[in-house]
Amino acid sequence: MKFTANTRIGIACGIAASIFTLFSARLIHLHIAKHDEYSRLAAKKHSIRQVIQARRGMILDRNGEILATNLPVRTVTADASRMKKPEALAKLAAKYLGMDEKEILEKFCTGKKYIVLKREVPEETAVTLWNAMQEQNLRGLYLEQDAIRIYPNGEVLGHVLGFLNHEGKGVQGIELSMHDQMAGKDGYRYIERDRTGREIVLYRGVEEQPEHGKNVRLTIDMGLQSIVEEELDAAFKEYNPETANAVLVDPKTGAILAMACRPCFNPNEPGKAGPEQMKNRTILDMVEPGSTFKIVVASGAMNEGKVDEKTSIFCENGRFLYGGKILKDHHGYGNMDVHQILVKSSNIGSAKLALMMGGDKFYEYVRRFGFGERLGVELPGEIPGLVHPPARWDKLTITRMPMGHSIAVTPLQITMGMSVIANGGRLMAPRIVQSVETEGGEITMKKNPIVMREVIPEKTARFIGEALVGVTEPGGTAAFARVNGFQVAGKTGTAQKVSPTGGYAAGKYVVSFVGFMPAEDPRFVLLVMLDDAKIPTNINYGGLIAAPIFSRIAERVARQLDLAPTMPAIPFQPTPMASTTTTEERSN
Amino acid sequence: MNTELTPTVNSNPIQIGKILCVSTIVAILLGVGLGFVFLKNQQFAIGEQIRKTERKIQQIHAENEVLLAKVTELTSRPALQARVKSGYITVVNITSDKIARLTPPVQATEDGILRTAFNEASRQ
Repeated sequence: MKFTANTRIGIACGIAASIFTLFSARLIHLHIAKHDEYSRLAAKKHSIRQVIQARRGMILDRNGEILATNLPVRTVTADASRMKKPEALAKLAAKYLGMDEKEILEKFCTGKKYIVLKREVPEETAVTLWNAMQEQNLRGLYLEQDAIRIYPNGEVLGHVLGFLNHEGKGVQGIELSMHDQMAGKDGYRYIERDRTGREIVLYRGVEEQPEHGKNVRLTIDMGLQSIVEEELDAAFKEYNPETANAVLVDPKTGAILAMACRPCFNPNEPGKAGPEQMKNRTILDMVEPGSTFKIVVASGAMNEGKVDEKTSIFCENGRFLYGGKILKDHHGYGNMDVHQILVKSSNIGSAKLALMMGGDKFYEYVRRFGFGERLGVELPGEIPGLVHPPARWDKLTITRMPMGHSIAVTPLQITMGMSVIANGGRLMAPRIVQSVETEGGEITMKKNPIVMREVIPEKTARFIGEALVGVTEPGGTAAFARVNGFQVAGKTGTAQKVSPTGGYAAGKYVVSFVGFMPAEDPRFVLLVMLDDAKIPTNINYGGLIAAPIFSRIAERVARQLDLAPTMPAIPFQPTPMASTTTTEERSN
Repeated sequence: MNTELTPTVNSNPIQIGKILCVSTIVAILLGVGLGFVFLKNQQFAIGEQIRKTERKIQQIHAENEVLLAKVTELTSRPALQARVKSGYITVVNITSDKIARLTPPVQATEDGILRTAFNEASRQ
C-alpha cells in the first residue's frame, strides 16, 4: 500500500496534532484542575509566613498615667546560606552587638538558615548595624521586631501590675488577669524573598493585619498610691516588720485607689526577687484580724435586735469564765453599751454579743460581711480566707471569733468589711479595673460598681460608724489615728501571730488599723497592717503603731483629694501606754 | 517579429503589503513584550519603593515608641521625685484657691509627750 505525499503529510500532521493536543490537555489539567494543589506546593517552597506582631496594650491609672508600656527592641538573626563574606559580617556584628567575633563566626559556620544572634537589641543599635551592613554591601543578617515590657514606676504598684515571662505572657497581677485583653492578636503576611534575602513585594500573598492589644485603665490613683507607698516604706524601715500592707478603697464604689505591700519587688527585674517578695499579701495572705472584727458582731447584734443603743452589757470586770477558760479584757469594765464596747474594744462585751446572737446567726453575719469568700477583685489568686461553719466550732470559738481569733481573713476583706459600715451597709465588690479601651481611647468594657449584698440597714451602719468615731477620740484605743480638721472613724486590731508549728508565736503580733474619713461622708477607707513589727512588746499595738501611720496617710490623702476640713483643731490627747499583757487581753 | 524570443522573467515580486502586515504584527508583539517587561520592571521598582517606605514607617513607629517609653520613664513619679529631691527642678506654688487648708497638726515636740510615731515631725 502506497501513500500519497498528501496522505503522509496528513498522517504526520495528525500525529503531531494529537501529541500537541495531549500536551495541551495535560497543561490545561495542570493549570486549571490542579491549580490550587500546585499553587500550595509552590507557595510552600517559596513563601515565608512573616508574623506581624501585635502591640501589647498599656496599663494606665485612673488619670491616664502610664503604669506599664512597651519598648521596641530587635532580635538580630542570621541566615548563613545567604552570606557572602561571613568573616566581615561577624566582625561587624561583634562590633555593634558587643559579642565575641569568634563565637559569631562559629555560629555562621553551622550553615543554618536561622541563627539567633542576640535578643533585646535596642532599636538605635539595630538600625546602626543595619546601615553599616548596607554600606559595606554585606548580607545575611536580619532584624526581627520585638518588644520588652517596662514599668516606669519600678517597685511602686509592682504587686498589682505583675510582670511577663520570656514568652510575653502575664505571670502575675493585672498582666496575668487581663492578659487576653492586652495581648492582642498577631497578624501575618506571606512573602517571597529574592536570592539576596530581600522581600519581593510583587509576590506578596495573603495578609492579615494584627489586632493590637487594648489598654487597661485601673481604679488606682497614682497620686494616692505614691503617698501610701512612701508612708509604708517609712514604716517598714522604722519598725522592720516581716510584712506590711495598706489598702485604700472608695467605700461607695468599691474602687481600690491604692494597694501596697512590703516587701516588694521591681517588675522590671522579676528575676532578682524571691517568691516572698512577689506575693500580693493583701489578697494572698490570711491573718487573724483581731479587734477590727468586732464591727461584725456589733452590727449583727444591733441588726438582729438583740441589743439597742442603750442596752447595757455587764463586762465581768475584765474576767469572764466561759467554756472552762477565762477571757480577759485589757482593763476591767463593768456595764457598757455597744458604743462603749467598740470604743474600749472589750473582748468580753463582744463575746457576750455573739452569745446573745447565737453561733448560727453570728456566722451568717460573718459571711454576709464577705469573710470566707473570694470578693472577685480582678487580681489572680485571691484566697477566700478561713471561716469554719458553726458545726466545726469548739466551745470557745463563739467567744474568740468576735474578737478576731479562730478566723483567718485577707487584708482586702477587712477593708471591704469596714466599707460596709462606711457606705451605709452595702458590701461592694472590690474593683481594680476601671475600663478596657482601644488605642484610640474608645471604651470597650466599663466596670461599674457592683453591690454584692445589703449587709445591714443604713441606721445600724450609722450607729456603728458613730461608735467608731469614738475609737479615735480621747479615751478610745486609737487616738493617734486622728487627723486634725476631720472626724475619723476606725478600729484597731492587735492579734498574736499564729505560729506555723501550731498555737501562737510568743511576742509576735499583727497590728492593724482600719478606718474611714471623713466620718460624716466617707471618701475613703484605709487599712494599715504590720506583721511582727520589731519594737518592744509593750508598745506593739494597733493603736500605737498602725494608727499613726493611718493618720499620716489620711492627712496627705485628704490634701490630695482636696477634702474641705469639717472640724476645728483639737488638742491631742495621748492614750495610756500599754503594758505587757496576754494574747486575749491584747485584742484591742 | 518574434516576440516569443523574449524570455518570460520568472520574478518573485516583493509583497510589500504582506511584509508590512507581518512586520506590524511582529512590532506589535515586540511592543507588547517590551511593554510587559517594562511594566514588570516598573512593578518591581515600585515594590522596592513600597518595601523601603514600609521599612521607614516601621522605623519611625519604633523610634516614636522608644521616645514615648523614654518620656514615660522620665516623667514617672519616682524619676520626678528624684529630680525634685536633687533640686534639679522646683515645685511651683499652687494658687491659694486650689489649696484645701487643713488645721495645722499638733507636733509631738509641742506638747512634750513621747509618741511612737506621729505625722511628719516625728520622723525628724
